[in-house]
Amino acid sequence: MIKFWRCYVCNDIHYGVKPPEICPTCAVKNAYVLISAREAKTICGAPAEADFSKDDFLTAIQKFTEDNEFMVNPDRAKVDLLFDGIFNNERNHGLKYCPCRLMCKELEEDLKIVCPCNFQIHETYKGLDKGECWCGLFIKRPKTSEVNP
Amino acid sequence: MKKHVMFHGRECPHCKAMMPLVDRLEKETGLSIERLEVWHDEKNADLMRSYRPIFTPKCGGQLRVPTFFNTETNDTICGEVEYEKLKEWATK
Repeated sequence: MIKFWRCYVCNDIHYGVKPPEICPTCAVKNAYVLISAREAKTICGAPAEADFSKDDFLTAIQKFTEDNEFMVNPDRAKVDLLFDGIFNNERNHGLKYCPCRLMCKELEEDLKIVCPCNFQIHETYKGLDKGECWCGLFIKRPKTSEVNP
Repeated sequence: MKKHVMFHGRECPHCKAMMPLVDRLEKETGLSIERLEVWHDEKNADLMRSYRPIFTPKCGGQLRVPTFFNTETNDTICGEVEYEKLKEWATK
């Protein structure tokens, strides 16, 4: 079962079945202790409530895609519309839910539609040359030969 | 609720792309498609969730928009589709 863990040295929070052996933030070994969801929420909530703008999110997902086979869709109008939805959903429903799906009000299921989601298993992406996530925010990076023929 | 329903999201690009096709469908066939927005209307969201067992097998195991639903036959289309497929769903 997935649980919350806290590094006793730097308060890094990990959400998973088991904690990392080495804390990725402070590099201390065997530093994680099991905590409650309430504790995790409090620790993550306080500093994380600072502004996180659409530009910050764009920068974050661009960084996220850098070493992956996918990229942020270059269609800026589409990205802007999706960002409106993602940020409205966070404000109205608590998390950055995909505007092209709907919460079913079961947290475990709903976490699967938080952007970026695990879209590489989607039928719109997996095994396709020009795959994209369900909403189209992420697209498979064109092969070099397609970019520079 | 009308016979033909489109569940959509205001900020969903696929839904936005389908709107002109739905307009065309209504104009060509005389049918009326009830458009229910689900991210800004909790009543519509709850209605869509009530059809979860019907929709999810056809939508990658999830509730996705746009979803086109025939309330009499349960025929369901999920996602952005060609006009002819939409028309076939509406008229059969």
